[in-house]
Amino acid sequence: MRDADSFDDFYRSTSRRMLRYGYAVAGDYTEAQDLVQEAYARAWRQWGQMSVHPAPEAWLRLVVARLATDRWRRLHGWRAALVRSGPPEVVQPPGEDGVLLLDALRQLPAAQRQALALHYLVDLSVEEIAREMQVPVGTVKSWLSRGRVRLAALLPGVSAEELEANDVA
Amino acid sequence: MSRDVSDFYRSLAADVDGRPLDGPGELRRRTDRRARVRAAGGVFLVALLVAGAATGTRLVLAADQGTVGPPAGPPVPTVIAPSPSPSTVTPSTVTPSRATPSSATSSPKATPTGRPSATSSGTHDPRTPRSIPDRAFFTQPASTMAAEPTFQQGGEVLPDFCGADLDGRVVQTRSRVLTYHLTPDQPEGTVPYGTYRNSISIHRPGRADDWMADLRRAVRECPEQETVPGRSDRHRLLPGGDFGDEAVLIEVREPAWEAGEPAEGEVLRLIRVIRIGDVVTVLWEMGWEGTSSDRRQVDDYSRRAERAISNWLD
Repeated sequence: MRDADSFDDFYRSTSRRMLRYGYAVAGDYTEAQDLVQEAYARAWRQWGQMSVHPAPEAWLRLVVARLATDRWRRLHGWRAALVRSGPPEVVQPPGEDGVLLLDALRQLPAAQRQALALHYLVDLSVEEIAREMQVPVGTVKSWLSRGRVRLAALLPGVSAEELEANDVA
Repeated sequence: MSRDVSDFYRSLAADVDGRPLDGPGELRRRTDRRARVRAAGGVFLVALLVAGAATGTRLVLAADQGTVGPPAGPPVPTVIAPSPSPSTVTPSTVTPSRATPSSATSSPKATPTGRPSATSSGTHDPRTPRSIPDRAFFTQPASTMAAEPTFQQGGEVLPDFCGADLDGRVVQTRSRVLTYHLTPDQPEGTVPYGTYRNSISIHRPGRADDWMADLRRAVRECPEQETVPGRSDRHRLLPGGDFGDEAVLIEVREPAWEAGEPAEGEVLRLIRVIRIGDVVTVLWEMGWEGTSSDRRQVDDYSRRAERAISNWLD
Protein backbone atom coordinates (compact mmCIF):
# COMPACT_ATOMS: atom_id res chain seq x y z
CA MET A 1 0.00 0.00 0.00
CA ARG A 2 1.45 3.35 -1.03
CA ASP A 3 1.45 6.06 1.59
CA ALA A 4 0.32 9.27 -0.13
CA ASP A 5 1.20 11.47 2.84
CA SER A 6 4.83 10.40 2.93
CA PHE A 7 5.07 10.82 -0.84
CA ASP A 8 3.58 14.32 -0.63
CA ASP A 9 6.05 15.27 2.11
CA PHE A 10 8.93 13.97 0.04
CA TYR A 11 7.68 15.80 -3.04
CA ARG A 12 7.26 19.11 -1.24
CA SER A 13 10.69 18.94 0.36
CA THR A 14 12.60 17.98 -2.80
CA SER A 15 10.74 19.13 -5.91
CA ARG A 16 12.19 22.64 -6.05
CA ARG A 17 15.75 21.32 -5.82
CA MET A 18 14.94 18.61 -8.34
CA LEU A 19 13.53 21.10 -10.82
CA ARG A 20 16.64 23.28 -10.53
CA TYR A 21 18.76 20.22 -11.21
CA GLY A 22 16.60 19.13 -14.15
CA TYR A 23 16.72 22.63 -15.61
CA ALA A 24 20.53 22.75 -15.49
CA VAL A 25 20.90 19.25 -16.94
CA ALA A 26 18.22 19.45 -19.64
CA GLY A 27 18.75 23.11 -20.54
CA ASP A 28 15.07 23.85 -21.12
CA TYR A 29 12.44 24.65 -18.52
CA THR A 30 9.52 22.84 -20.13
CA GLU A 31 11.68 19.83 -20.72
CA ALA A 32 12.96 19.93 -17.16
CA GLN A 33 9.39 20.10 -15.93
CA ASP A 34 8.54 17.01 -17.99
CA LEU A 35 11.59 15.12 -16.81
CA VAL A 36 11.08 15.88 -13.16
CA GLN A 37 7.37 15.11 -13.21
CA GLU A 38 8.03 11.84 -15.00
CA ALA A 39 10.63 10.95 -12.38
CA TYR A 40 8.20 11.70 -9.55
CA ALA A 41 5.48 9.76 -11.37
CA ARG A 42 7.77 6.75 -11.48
CA ALA A 43 8.57 7.22 -7.83
CA TRP A 44 4.86 7.31 -6.98
CA ARG A 45 4.16 4.16 -9.01
CA GLN A 46 6.63 2.24 -6.88
CA TRP A 47 6.37 4.26 -3.68
CA GLY A 48 5.91 1.09 -1.63
CA GLN A 49 9.54 0.27 -2.38
CA MET A 50 10.79 3.81 -2.78
CA SER A 51 9.68 4.85 0.68
CA VAL A 52 12.34 2.56 2.17
CA HIS A 53 15.06 3.60 -0.26
CA PRO A 54 18.12 4.89 1.61
CA ALA A 55 18.54 7.86 -0.75
CA PRO A 56 15.34 8.51 -2.69
CA GLU A 57 16.42 11.97 -3.83
CA ALA A 58 19.61 10.57 -5.38
CA TRP A 59 17.48 7.94 -7.08
CA LEU A 60 15.27 10.66 -8.54
CA ARG A 61 18.26 12.62 -9.80
CA LEU A 62 19.53 9.47 -11.47
CA VAL A 63 16.19 9.02 -13.21
CA VAL A 64 16.14 12.67 -14.28
CA ALA A 65 19.66 12.42 -15.70
CA ARG A 66 18.84 9.21 -17.56
CA LEU A 67 15.62 10.58 -18.94
CA ALA A 68 17.41 13.71 -20.07
CA THR A 69 19.71 11.64 -22.26
CA ASP A 70 16.87 9.81 -23.91
CA ARG A 71 14.01 12.14 -23.36
CA TRP A 72 12.04 12.24 -26.55
CA ARG A 73 11.31 8.55 -26.76
CA ARG A 74 10.58 8.11 -23.10
CA LEU A 75 8.55 11.22 -22.47
CA HIS A 76 6.11 10.74 -25.27
CA GLY A 77 3.40 9.50 -22.92
CA TRP A 78 3.87 12.24 -20.38
CA ARG A 79 3.83 14.93 -23.07
CA ALA A 80 0.58 13.52 -24.40
CA ALA A 81 -0.89 13.70 -20.90
CA LEU A 82 0.25 17.30 -20.55
CA VAL A 83 -1.28 18.19 -23.90
CA ARG A 84 -4.59 16.67 -22.79
CA SER A 85 -4.48 18.63 -19.54
CA GLY A 86 -4.42 21.93 -21.42
CA PRO A 87 -1.95 24.62 -22.40
CA PRO A 88 0.80 25.59 -19.96
CA GLU A 89 0.23 28.65 -17.84
CA VAL A 90 1.88 31.89 -18.81
CA VAL A 91 5.13 32.29 -16.90
CA GLN A 92 7.68 35.02 -16.55
CA PRO A 93 10.69 34.75 -18.89
CA PRO A 94 13.98 33.55 -17.42
CA GLY A 95 16.57 36.10 -16.32
CA GLU A 96 19.44 37.10 -18.56
CA ASP A 97 22.09 35.30 -16.50
CA GLY A 98 20.09 32.11 -16.53
CA VAL A 99 19.77 32.23 -20.30
CA LEU A 100 23.50 32.87 -20.68
CA LEU A 101 24.34 29.96 -18.39
CA LEU A 102 22.01 27.59 -20.22
CA ASP A 103 23.50 28.59 -23.57
CA ALA A 104 26.96 27.90 -22.18
CA LEU A 105 25.94 24.61 -20.60
CA ARG A 106 24.65 23.34 -23.95
CA GLN A 107 28.25 23.38 -25.15
CA LEU A 108 29.42 21.10 -22.34
CA PRO A 109 29.27 17.30 -22.28
CA ALA A 110 26.35 15.86 -20.35
CA ALA A 111 28.56 14.44 -17.57
CA GLN A 112 30.13 17.83 -16.92
CA ARG A 113 26.70 19.51 -16.85
CA GLN A 114 25.51 16.93 -14.38
CA ALA A 115 28.55 17.24 -12.12
CA LEU A 116 28.39 21.04 -12.13
CA ALA A 117 24.69 21.00 -11.31
CA LEU A 118 25.26 18.62 -8.40
CA HIS A 119 28.02 20.90 -7.13
CA TYR A 120 26.39 24.31 -7.56
CA LEU A 121 22.70 23.52 -7.15
CA VAL A 122 22.59 20.49 -4.85
CA ASP A 123 25.67 21.40 -2.80
CA LEU A 124 27.17 17.94 -3.00
CA SER A 125 30.85 17.42 -2.24
CA VAL A 126 33.21 15.94 -4.79
CA GLU A 127 33.07 12.62 -2.97
CA GLU A 128 29.27 12.63 -2.94
CA ILE A 129 29.14 13.46 -6.63
CA ALA A 130 31.56 10.60 -7.34
CA ARG A 131 29.33 8.17 -5.43
CA GLU A 132 26.18 9.35 -7.13
CA MET A 133 27.68 9.24 -10.62
CA GLN A 134 29.58 6.05 -9.83
CA VAL A 135 32.94 7.36 -11.05
CA PRO A 136 36.28 7.96 -9.26
CA VAL A 137 36.78 11.18 -7.32
CA GLY A 138 39.54 12.21 -9.73
CA THR A 139 37.13 12.02 -12.64
CA VAL A 140 34.69 14.34 -10.88
CA LYS A 141 37.45 16.82 -10.11
CA SER A 142 38.46 16.76 -13.74
CA TRP A 143 34.87 17.26 -14.93
CA LEU A 144 34.31 20.16 -12.54
CA SER A 145 37.59 21.80 -13.41
CA ARG A 146 37.16 21.52 -17.16
CA GLY A 147 33.52 22.50 -16.94
CA ARG A 148 34.28 25.64 -14.96
CA VAL A 149 37.09 26.66 -17.27
CA ARG A 150 34.81 26.19 -20.26
CA LEU A 151 32.03 28.18 -18.61
CA ALA A 152 34.51 30.95 -17.78
CA ALA A 153 35.32 31.21 -21.44
CA LEU A 154 31.66 31.35 -22.40
CA LEU A 155 30.16 33.52 -19.67
CA PRO A 156 30.76 37.28 -19.52
CA GLY A 157 32.78 38.64 -16.65
CA VAL A 158 34.03 35.35 -15.22
CA SER A 159 37.76 35.24 -14.65
CA ALA A 160 39.56 32.02 -15.51
CA GLU A 161 42.40 32.97 -13.15
CA GLU A 162 40.05 33.16 -10.18
CA LEU A 163 38.63 29.79 -11.15
CA GLU A 164 42.08 28.27 -11.04
CA ALA A 165 42.62 29.71 -7.56
CA ASN A 166 39.22 28.64 -6.26
CA ASP A 167 39.05 25.40 -8.14
CA VAL A 168 37.34 22.49 -6.53
CA ALA A 169 39.76 20.67 -4.30
CA MET B 1 33.78 43.52 -11.86
CA SER B 2 34.70 39.87 -11.92
CA ARG B 3 31.90 37.40 -11.42
CA ASP B 4 31.78 33.76 -10.39
CA VAL B 5 30.09 30.80 -12.03
CA SER B 6 28.02 30.33 -8.89
CA ASP B 7 26.34 33.71 -9.52
CA PHE B 8 24.97 32.38 -12.78
CA TYR B 9 23.73 29.20 -11.12
CA ARG B 10 21.99 31.29 -8.48
CA SER B 11 20.19 33.19 -11.22
CA LEU B 12 19.17 29.96 -12.86
CA ALA B 13 17.83 28.64 -9.54
CA ALA B 14 15.87 31.85 -9.03
CA ASP B 15 14.28 31.42 -12.47
CA VAL B 16 13.11 27.95 -11.53
CA ASP B 17 11.85 28.95 -8.11
CA GLY B 18 9.51 31.42 -9.74
CA ARG B 19 7.84 28.62 -11.68
CA PRO B 20 7.05 25.76 -9.31
CA LEU B 21 5.62 22.41 -10.33
CA ASP B 22 2.07 21.27 -9.72
CA GLY B 23 1.34 19.97 -6.25
CA PRO B 24 1.98 16.34 -5.32
CA GLY B 25 -1.71 15.48 -5.23
CA GLU B 26 -2.18 16.57 -8.82
CA LEU B 27 0.88 14.56 -9.86
CA ARG B 28 -0.40 11.43 -8.10
CA ARG B 29 -3.84 11.76 -9.66
CA ARG B 30 -2.36 12.28 -13.12
CA THR B 31 -0.05 9.31 -12.73
CA ASP B 32 -2.83 7.01 -11.54
CA ARG B 33 -5.14 8.24 -14.29
CA ARG B 34 -2.47 7.52 -16.87
CA ALA B 35 -2.10 3.98 -15.56
CA ARG B 36 -5.86 3.45 -15.76
CA VAL B 37 -6.01 4.77 -19.32
CA ARG B 38 -3.24 2.40 -20.34
CA ALA B 39 -5.02 -0.50 -18.69
CA ALA B 40 -8.29 0.30 -20.42
CA GLY B 41 -6.55 0.70 -23.78
CA GLY B 42 -4.83 -2.64 -23.38
CA VAL B 43 -8.07 -4.43 -22.56
CA PHE B 44 -9.65 -2.92 -25.65
CA LEU B 45 -6.71 -4.09 -27.77
CA VAL B 46 -6.91 -7.63 -26.40
CA ALA B 47 -10.65 -7.71 -27.01
CA LEU B 48 -10.10 -6.44 -30.54
CA LEU B 49 -7.50 -9.12 -31.24
CA VAL B 50 -9.72 -11.86 -29.83
CA ALA B 51 -12.67 -10.57 -31.83
CA GLY B 52 -10.53 -10.40 -34.95
CA ALA B 53 -9.23 -13.91 -34.46
CA ALA B 54 -12.75 -15.19 -33.83
CA THR B 55 -14.01 -13.47 -36.97
CA GLY B 56 -11.15 -14.91 -39.00
CA THR B 57 -11.79 -18.38 -37.71
CA ARG B 58 -15.46 -18.06 -38.59
CA LEU B 59 -14.65 -17.03 -42.13
CA VAL B 60 -12.27 -19.92 -42.61
CA LEU B 61 -14.64 -22.49 -41.19
CA ALA B 62 -17.68 -20.91 -42.84
CA ALA B 63 -19.64 -21.74 -39.76
CA ASP B 64 -22.15 -19.52 -37.99
CA GLN B 65 -20.63 -18.65 -34.62
CA GLY B 66 -23.08 -15.88 -33.77
CA THR B 67 -22.25 -12.21 -33.46
CA VAL B 68 -19.01 -11.04 -31.96
CA GLY B 69 -19.64 -9.39 -28.61
CA PRO B 70 -18.58 -5.87 -27.75
CA PRO B 71 -15.13 -5.21 -26.34
CA ALA B 72 -14.74 -5.88 -22.65
CA GLY B 73 -15.90 -3.02 -20.47
CA PRO B 74 -14.07 -2.38 -17.24
CA PRO B 75 -10.31 -2.82 -17.15
CA VAL B 76 -10.26 -5.93 -15.03
CA PRO B 77 -7.27 -8.24 -15.04
CA THR B 78 -7.75 -11.18 -17.34
CA VAL B 79 -6.32 -14.62 -17.05
CA ILE B 80 -4.99 -16.47 -20.04
CA ALA B 81 -6.13 -20.00 -19.52
CA PRO B 82 -3.75 -22.86 -20.25
CA SER B 83 -4.47 -24.13 -23.71
CA PRO B 84 -6.30 -27.46 -23.56
CA SER B 85 -4.94 -28.61 -26.86
CA PRO B 86 -1.84 -27.76 -28.86
CA SER B 87 -3.98 -27.45 -31.97
CA THR B 88 -6.09 -24.65 -30.51
CA VAL B 89 -5.69 -21.56 -32.68
CA THR B 90 -7.63 -18.87 -30.91
CA PRO B 91 -6.23 -17.71 -27.58
CA SER B 92 -8.86 -17.88 -24.91
CA THR B 93 -9.23 -15.39 -22.14
CA VAL B 94 -11.41 -15.64 -19.11
CA THR B 95 -12.27 -13.24 -16.37
CA PRO B 96 -10.62 -13.92 -13.04
CA SER B 97 -12.12 -16.71 -11.07
CA ARG B 98 -11.25 -17.97 -7.67
CA ALA B 99 -9.24 -21.11 -8.17
CA THR B 100 -10.60 -23.71 -5.86
CA PRO B 101 -7.92 -24.81 -3.44
CA SER B 102 -7.53 -28.51 -3.20
CA SER B 103 -8.96 -30.21 -0.20
CA ALA B 104 -6.91 -32.32 2.13
CA THR B 105 -8.32 -35.47 0.59
CA SER B 106 -8.04 -34.60 -3.06
CA SER B 107 -4.69 -32.93 -3.43
CA PRO B 108 -1.52 -34.85 -4.09
CA LYS B 109 0.60 -34.64 -1.00
CA ALA B 110 4.20 -33.62 -0.95
CA THR B 111 4.47 -35.07 2.52
CA PRO B 112 2.10 -37.18 4.59
CA THR B 113 -0.54 -35.27 6.52
CA GLY B 114 -0.82 -35.37 10.27
CA ARG B 115 1.72 -34.14 12.71
CA PRO B 116 4.26 -31.71 11.40
CA SER B 117 7.39 -33.53 10.42
CA ALA B 118 10.81 -32.86 11.86
CA THR B 119 12.99 -30.19 10.32
CA SER B 120 15.78 -31.27 8.09
CA SER B 121 18.24 -29.66 10.45
CA GLY B 122 16.77 -30.82 13.76
CA THR B 123 16.06 -34.11 15.47
CA HIS B 124 12.69 -33.33 17.03
CA ASP B 125 9.36 -31.93 15.94
CA PRO B 126 9.16 -28.18 16.16
CA ARG B 127 6.40 -26.84 18.37
CA THR B 128 3.48 -24.90 16.94
CA PRO B 129 4.07 -21.29 18.00
CA ARG B 130 1.37 -18.84 18.99
CA SER B 131 2.99 -15.63 17.86
CA ILE B 132 5.84 -14.51 15.62
CA PRO B 133 8.60 -12.57 17.39
CA ASP B 134 11.18 -10.42 15.64
CA ARG B 135 13.85 -13.06 16.20
CA ALA B 136 11.96 -15.45 13.93
CA PHE B 137 13.15 -13.28 11.05
CA PHE B 138 16.69 -13.71 9.86
CA THR B 139 19.31 -11.00 10.04
CA GLN B 140 20.54 -9.63 6.73
CA PRO B 141 24.30 -9.56 6.20
CA ALA B 142 25.34 -6.00 7.08
CA SER B 143 27.63 -5.78 4.06
CA THR B 144 24.76 -6.16 1.59
CA MET B 145 21.94 -4.48 3.51
CA ALA B 146 20.83 -1.36 1.64
CA ALA B 147 18.33 -0.19 4.27
CA GLU B 148 17.00 -1.32 7.63
CA PRO B 149 14.22 -3.89 7.24
CA THR B 150 10.76 -2.45 7.74
CA PHE B 151 7.82 -4.42 9.06
CA GLN B 152 4.55 -3.91 7.25
CA GLN B 153 0.94 -4.28 8.19
CA GLY B 154 -1.02 -6.22 5.61
CA GLY B 155 0.14 -6.40 2.03
CA GLU B 156 0.41 -9.41 -0.21
CA VAL B 157 2.92 -12.08 0.75
CA LEU B 158 2.64 -13.88 -2.60
CA PRO B 159 1.54 -12.95 -6.10
CA ASP B 160 -2.11 -13.48 -6.90
CA PHE B 161 -1.98 -16.77 -8.78
CA CYS B 162 -5.15 -16.38 -10.83
CA GLY B 163 -7.15 -15.63 -7.72
CA ALA B 164 -6.25 -18.80 -5.81
CA ASP B 165 -7.44 -18.55 -2.20
CA LEU B 166 -4.50 -19.58 -0.06
CA ASP B 167 -5.23 -17.75 3.17
CA GLY B 168 -7.87 -19.95 4.77
CA ARG B 169 -5.68 -21.98 7.10
CA VAL B 170 -3.31 -19.23 8.20
CA VAL B 171 -3.48 -18.28 11.89
CA GLN B 172 -1.07 -15.35 11.89
CA THR B 173 1.28 -13.64 9.43
CA ARG B 174 3.98 -11.02 9.82
CA SER B 175 5.85 -9.54 6.90
CA ARG B 176 8.63 -7.09 6.27
CA VAL B 177 10.48 -5.51 3.37
CA LEU B 178 14.20 -6.13 2.89
CA THR B 179 16.36 -3.98 0.66
CA TYR B 180 19.71 -5.34 -0.44
CA HIS B 181 22.77 -4.93 -2.60
CA LEU B 182 24.12 -7.84 -4.57
CA THR B 183 27.70 -6.67 -4.12
CA PRO B 184 28.97 -6.17 -0.55
CA ASP B 185 30.11 -2.84 0.90
CA GLN B 186 28.46 -0.49 -1.55
CA PRO B 187 28.83 3.26 -0.87
CA GLU B 188 25.93 4.85 0.96
CA GLY B 189 23.24 5.98 -1.43
CA THR B 190 23.98 3.33 -4.03
CA VAL B 191 20.80 2.18 -5.75
CA PRO B 192 19.80 -1.21 -4.29
CA TYR B 193 19.84 -4.34 -6.40
CA GLY B 194 16.51 -5.52 -5.14
CA THR B 195 13.91 -5.86 -2.43
CA TYR B 196 12.21 -8.79 -0.75
CA ARG B 197 8.80 -9.21 0.72
CA ASN B 198 9.62 -11.63 3.52
CA SER B 199 6.79 -13.14 5.50
CA ILE B 200 6.34 -15.77 8.19
CA SER B 201 2.98 -17.44 8.73
CA ILE B 202 1.73 -19.79 11.42
CA HIS B 203 -0.74 -22.36 10.12
CA ARG B 204 -3.26 -24.45 11.98
CA PRO B 205 -1.63 -27.54 13.46
CA GLY B 206 -0.96 -30.12 10.77
CA ARG B 207 -2.33 -27.99 7.92
CA ALA B 208 0.76 -26.26 6.60
CA ASP B 209 1.65 -29.15 4.29
CA ASP B 210 -1.85 -28.96 2.78
CA TRP B 211 -1.26 -25.30 2.19
CA MET B 212 2.01 -26.06 0.43
CA ALA B 213 0.24 -28.58 -1.80
CA ASP B 214 -2.41 -25.97 -2.59
CA LEU B 215 0.29 -23.48 -3.45
CA ARG B 216 1.93 -25.90 -5.88
CA ARG B 217 -1.41 -26.57 -7.47
CA ALA B 218 -2.22 -22.86 -7.72
CA VAL B 219 1.04 -22.21 -9.55
CA ARG B 220 0.58 -25.18 -11.87
CA GLU B 221 -2.96 -24.10 -12.71
CA CYS B 222 -1.86 -20.55 -13.41
CA PRO B 223 1.01 -20.84 -15.88
CA GLU B 224 0.27 -17.43 -17.31
CA GLN B 225 -1.51 -14.40 -15.94
CA GLU B 226 -2.17 -11.07 -17.54
CA THR B 227 -1.06 -8.37 -15.13
CA VAL B 228 -1.25 -5.43 -17.48
CA PRO B 229 -3.41 -5.73 -20.59
CA GLY B 230 -1.41 -7.33 -23.35
CA ARG B 231 1.45 -8.27 -21.03
CA SER B 232 1.52 -11.44 -18.98
CA ASP B 233 3.58 -13.00 -16.24
CA ARG B 234 4.54 -16.66 -16.66
CA HIS B 235 4.82 -18.94 -13.64
CA ARG B 236 6.39 -22.32 -13.14
CA LEU B 237 7.57 -24.52 -10.31
CA LEU B 238 11.26 -25.30 -9.97
CA PRO B 239 12.77 -27.89 -7.63
CA GLY B 240 12.38 -26.29 -4.22
CA GLY B 241 15.77 -27.32 -2.86
CA ASP B 242 16.71 -28.84 0.47
CA PHE B 243 15.18 -26.32 2.84
CA GLY B 244 13.11 -27.04 5.95
CA ASP B 245 10.61 -29.90 5.80
CA GLU B 246 9.75 -28.99 2.26
CA ALA B 247 10.27 -26.06 -0.04
CA VAL B 248 8.85 -24.62 -3.23
CA LEU B 249 10.68 -22.40 -5.66
CA ILE B 250 8.47 -20.40 -7.99
CA GLU B 251 9.84 -18.77 -11.10
CA VAL B 252 7.97 -15.72 -12.36
CA ARG B 253 8.94 -14.28 -15.71
CA GLU B 254 7.65 -10.75 -16.12
CA PRO B 255 7.74 -8.57 -19.23
CA ALA B 256 10.44 -5.95 -18.95
CA TRP B 257 9.67 -2.28 -18.37
CA GLU B 258 11.96 0.63 -18.88
CA ALA B 259 11.23 4.12 -17.63
CA GLY B 260 7.61 3.14 -17.19
CA GLU B 261 7.24 1.92 -20.75
CA PRO B 262 7.00 -1.67 -22.02
CA ALA B 263 10.40 -2.85 -23.22
CA GLU B 264 11.79 -5.87 -25.01
CA GLY B 265 12.74 -8.92 -22.98
CA GLU B 266 11.70 -10.06 -19.55
CA VAL B 267 12.90 -10.15 -15.98
CA LEU B 268 13.00 -13.20 -13.74
CA ARG B 269 11.64 -13.23 -10.21
CA LEU B 270 12.19 -16.07 -7.76
CA ILE B 271 9.97 -16.83 -4.80
CA ARG B 272 11.10 -19.40 -2.26
CA VAL B 273 8.55 -20.84 0.15
CA ILE B 274 9.83 -22.98 3.02
CA ARG B 275 7.77 -25.00 5.48
CA ILE B 276 9.14 -25.90 8.88
CA GLY B 277 6.48 -27.73 10.87
CA ASP B 278 3.42 -25.50 11.01
CA VAL B 279 5.36 -22.42 10.01
CA VAL B 280 5.82 -21.21 6.45
CA THR B 281 8.15 -18.46 5.36
CA VAL B 282 8.06 -16.78 1.97
CA LEU B 283 10.97 -14.95 0.37
CA TRP B 284 9.55 -13.04 -2.56
CA GLU B 285 12.35 -11.33 -4.44
CA MET B 286 10.83 -8.29 -6.12
CA GLY B 287 13.85 -6.73 -7.80
CA TRP B 288 14.48 -3.06 -8.34
CA GLU B 289 14.04 -1.27 -11.63
CA GLY B 290 14.27 -4.24 -13.93
CA THR B 291 16.83 -6.35 -12.10
CA SER B 292 16.36 -10.12 -12.14
CA SER B 293 16.62 -12.37 -9.10
CA ASP B 294 20.01 -13.88 -8.46
CA ARG B 295 19.68 -17.57 -7.63
CA ARG B 296 22.69 -17.74 -5.31
CA GLN B 297 21.49 -14.72 -3.39
CA VAL B 298 18.00 -16.19 -3.04
CA ASP B 299 19.50 -19.46 -1.82
CA ASP B 300 21.62 -17.59 0.72
CA TYR B 301 18.65 -15.72 2.19
CA SER B 302 16.61 -18.93 2.13
CA ARG B 303 19.24 -20.71 4.21
CA ARG B 304 19.35 -17.82 6.66
CA ALA B 305 15.57 -17.76 6.92
CA GLU B 306 15.39 -21.49 7.53
CA ARG B 307 18.06 -21.28 10.25
CA ALA B 308 16.38 -18.36 12.05
CA ILE B 309 13.01 -20.13 12.16
CA SER B 310 14.55 -23.40 13.29
CA ASN B 311 16.35 -21.58 16.12
CA TRP B 312 13.13 -19.83 17.09
CA LEU B 313 11.13 -23.06 17.17
CA ASP B 314 13.77 -25.06 19.05
